[in-house]
Amino acid sequence: MRFMMLMIPLGYETAPPDVKLDPERVAAMMKYNRALKDAGVLITLDGLHPPSMGARVSFASGEPLVTDGPFAEAKEVLGGYWMIDVKSREEAIAWAKRCPASSKEVIEIRQVQEMSDFPADVQEAAAGFTELQGKSGR
Amino acid sequence: MRFMVIVKADKDSEAGVMPSTELLTAMGKFNEEMVKAGVMLAGEGLHPSSNGARIRYSGKDRTVTTGPFGATRELVAGFWLIQVKSRDEAIEWMKRAPFDGGSEIEIRQVFDAEDFGEALTPELREQEQRLRSQARK
Repeated sequence: MRFMMLMIPLGYETAPPDVKLDPERVAAMMKYNRALKDAGVLITLDGLHPPSMGARVSFASGEPLVTDGPFAEAKEVLGGYWMIDVKSREEAIAWAKRCPASSKEVIEIRQVQEMSDFPADVQEAAAGFTELQGKSGR
Repeated sequence: MRFMVIVKADKDSEAGVMPSTELLTAMGKFNEEMVKAGVMLAGEGLHPSSNGARIRYSGKDRTVTTGPFGATRELVAGFWLIQVKSRDEAIEWMKRAPFDGGSEIEIRQVFDAEDFGEALTPELREQEQRLRSQARK
């Protein structure tokens, strides 16, 4: 089963575009990343620039509306993610518990939808999706 | 530049309502266009947060909460990873996505090794590259 571990750093919603990272924390996180890899569970991982550099596109009226970040109403934003392949949700939670996260960080575990999770008519309409998924797909 | 396009959850995605054949067909067409243009690197949908969990960190303590999580509009329902030349190009692509009815997506640039500056020492950088090349199966 594939799971995303979504890293939600509290306060990142107001971080400036040139947010600084602490080398010590980066090194600790790399050690954890290495453990995920050595166990054969890591599929991919990425970090995201702060929302102050981002944009939102909303489709309320049919016409796309673009809003530049930071987003005043946002209370929780994504700082990065890991995608892992494990046998159960419990195993995913056990991995997340090992993360050297700070008290200002929350990790959310979410299962990735596989084609086999959908009924036949949906699978038919989505035919070819797996071929589109590229490097993080399977 | 790589961007992550975060598709925000709504009442339907959180309730596990499956998209219609029409929407899936339109989305398939949009994905094909992005793949043909060499823009789409990955795309996935997530199960509703009711199936998820959150972990909070405080010293050595870990507190696990199971879903669903409130504030539906703050949750992630799916994502794309795209490769484009600028944020504007990312925005232009995503304006064409077949969404409607108040859907919202968020476009965020992905960190590359250069962005970390001195925090990413040569040793860490080498390890990071090694992880990336070995992680994918």
